[in-house]
Amino acid sequence: MGHHTEERIKVSALSLLQLQGLSKKFNDHLALNAIDFSLREGEIVGLVGPNGAGKTTLFNLICGRFRPSSGSVLFAGMDITGCKADKICRLGISRTFQSSRPFLQMSSLNNVLVGRVFGKGFRFNIRPEDVNMAQELLEVVGIARKAETPAKDLTLSEQRRLDLARALATRPRLLLLDEVAAGFSPVAVKQAVSLVRRVRERGVTLLIIDHFLNLSLQVSDRLLALDHGEKIAQGPPKEVMANQEVIRAYLGLRYEDENV
Amino acid sequence: MWTTVIVSGISLGSFYTLIALGFALIYGVTRNFNLAHGELLVLAGYVAYWLWKSWAWPFWLTFPAAMVVLLLTGLILQRIFSRLKEPLELNSIVFSFGAAILIQNGMLLCFTGDYRLIRVPALHQGLRFQNFYISYGQFTLLFLSLLVIGLLYLIMQRTYLGKALRATIQDKDAAAMAGINVAAMGTIAFSLGAVLIGLAGPLYGCIHYLYPSAGHEVTLLAITITIFAGVGRMRGVLLAGWILGLSESFAVIFLGASWREMVSAVMLLTLLVLKPRGILGNKP
Amino acid sequence: MIKSIKSRIKKLTFADSGLVLVFLALLLLPVLVGYNDYILQVLTHALLLATLALSWNILGQSGSVSLGHAAFFGAGAYGSALLSLESGLSPWSSIFLAGLIAIGLGLVMGLACLRLRGAYFALASLAFVEIPRVITDNWDGLTRGSLGLAGIPGLPSLHLGSWYLKIGSSITASYYLVFVYALGLLGLVGFLFRSNFGLALQAVREEETAAGSVGVRVDVFRMLSLLLSAFFTGISGACYAHLVSYIGCGLVYGIHFSALPMVLAICGGRFTILGPALAALILYPLDQFIFHPLLPAGHEFLYGLVLILTVLFLPAGLWGTIRKNA
Repeated sequence: MGHHTEERIKVSALSLLQLQGLSKKFNDHLALNAIDFSLREGEIVGLVGPNGAGKTTLFNLICGRFRPSSGSVLFAGMDITGCKADKICRLGISRTFQSSRPFLQMSSLNNVLVGRVFGKGFRFNIRPEDVNMAQELLEVVGIARKAETPAKDLTLSEQRRLDLARALATRPRLLLLDEVAAGFSPVAVKQAVSLVRRVRERGVTLLIIDHFLNLSLQVSDRLLALDHGEKIAQGPPKEVMANQEVIRAYLGLRYEDENV
Repeated sequence: MWTTVIVSGISLGSFYTLIALGFALIYGVTRNFNLAHGELLVLAGYVAYWLWKSWAWPFWLTFPAAMVVLLLTGLILQRIFSRLKEPLELNSIVFSFGAAILIQNGMLLCFTGDYRLIRVPALHQGLRFQNFYISYGQFTLLFLSLLVIGLLYLIMQRTYLGKALRATIQDKDAAAMAGINVAAMGTIAFSLGAVLIGLAGPLYGCIHYLYPSAGHEVTLLAITITIFAGVGRMRGVLLAGWILGLSESFAVIFLGASWREMVSAVMLLTLLVLKPRGILGNKP
Repeated sequence: MIKSIKSRIKKLTFADSGLVLVFLALLLLPVLVGYNDYILQVLTHALLLATLALSWNILGQSGSVSLGHAAFFGAGAYGSALLSLESGLSPWSSIFLAGLIAIGLGLVMGLACLRLRGAYFALASLAFVEIPRVITDNWDGLTRGSLGLAGIPGLPSLHLGSWYLKIGSSITASYYLVFVYALGLLGLVGFLFRSNFGLALQAVREEETAAGSVGVRVDVFRMLSLLLSAFFTGISGACYAHLVSYIGCGLVYGIHFSALPMVLAICGGRFTILGPALAALILYPLDQFIFHPLLPAGHEFLYGLVLILTVLFLPAGLWGTIRKNA
């Protein structure tokens, strides 16, 4: 399986996701200002920046939850700007949410099955291979024992992983993870890192929002840094984290002054 | 002729506003929709009718009586409303729908389905001016409604209580953090709302036939005006009432009395579909 | 095989056996009550209400609470009545066409109102029903306005080869026709709710945004559930018209047929299949046989009381709570 993935990564050097001049205005507030960015297939990109930088808004624009005020989103060469969320999922982009949103009254297995059945267009029946795939995904995220448990009875961390399994069930090419490791202990972060790597091995490109930096620094090939809706840096993690603007954005002017 | 229609529309509209005020206040402060609103109004009317008819009370005395009865009823309802869980708005609709059925059947039991009317002959005489005619009844409606609306406006704007209420309407959580007892505000809103219904009920009972199912159309009115004004805002309620009153008066002239009932429904639907935040409200 | 049957029988709960009893009682009802016309009519009406509650619940499954379903009931009633009175169509056809008319109305309502959620959709539905009501009331030329329609042909007759059964004039036959309809609708609803369609509705109801993000066509499913709900409500309305042979717009578009389906579905159990039907079969006869004689006026307070109790104490509904604790 690893060999296949290597080949796929080599072959598609073209950008999988392209953001061109993407902007979003809410009433008077400019949440995102002319963002340009390209994501290559097979990459893991960390989307970083302090609170209110516009990271989740960017996700919402890519995934069709909001229409951009201007600019466009291209996915594998196709213009998906303004498409509805369910269509974008069928085209190959899935996401998780900052606060977990499993279908609470359904079992974990059924949660994942929803993703499987609807992820690529409606299917009338559930076949054994669907159930197998769903079980497998529950194993990948580590909650296989809780397959029959209603999602409302899972712990918060388990619900988050369930959301991930459900998103994976839609067989995405690109997966947007919103704050998958927020508030995790170092041990939990380690588990999350290996989970993310396992996801990439399945051939999924990843764009990860990480406000706390604990996950994305370890796992990303590149970082994209936002602050107040503007792109302030992009590149390899070491480079971006050494960038003065990024430091100032996270830690404030005084820190920068004190260290100049 | 036009002036008469306009006068009629404005006086009716002012009365509609009076009727809707309680509903808007309760919704604004507690985010509870009270679909039993119309039934409560009819109940107040029935109380007044019963006192006037069976106990020969003078008409003016039925007002405070109705207000007291409605206050008690409102407080009982508020107790139950406060126990509702999220989603508040939908649950309050379902619960108050049930309450409406209960109250309606209670009235059916006590008063039968016969149409009742409080006859105050003085109200039907009127003044004829050059261009138009206004009955004493219409004048009373207009005067009383504007008086009460004005009073409520003063309370909301000039007193500390009013400020606290307005704060709760705008943002419940922020108001709580500012030290306002939000639960008490809810009780006050219900009490005020109930008293307003108690005031409007006897008036309703003398210009409109009382029958148990009359409340349905009144509730629709109240919802329409509240949503028009901007859900949770009080300012546009008078304007909304006037527009509704005038629309109905003109509809009666142009289309006939039987189309009147559709006016508020069409207005409400249009509002919900096009401008759910209300005509005047941009920020909720 | 014997082993699996044995274990299945072991799993039969008290509730399941109760259901079997109810079914048998309904099946044999005419015999059990000695062909008593009054009882049969009440149970026929209860079964019709069961179909109303079941169809209401198809929309309820998607998360939308409608307070104006009488719009579809009335459209079905008037549609079928007028078609069979004016065009002499057999009630079989007019009932079906009435269902289509109700779908049309549902499409209009859906396009206008489905953008709304929760409480706002409920309010919009409350307003929406007034429109067909007032139009029907005023369109004297077509509908005889507030006079209502009388002399509506009875329920359709059944021709099987040379065997001919005139259902309309037989109370027992009418009862069985409605019974079969209710059973069929129950089966359909059960099939739908257990299928991927039901899965989609549940997803939309519980987490709309998340459902969209995993590819569920939220708008399509909400509209479909509304149209299906409207269709069967319309058919029930049409059956009603042929059952009672006189309808007036105050009644068929009235709050009674808007409120009852919603009360029955919620009190029975909004998220179950059987709940709405069971609520109809319990509450309506209770209302008619016990409370009506006691309180000729105001006996319908029962529905208000049960609704309030359900909202406050049994949010999953009666059957829903039984199912949960089984």
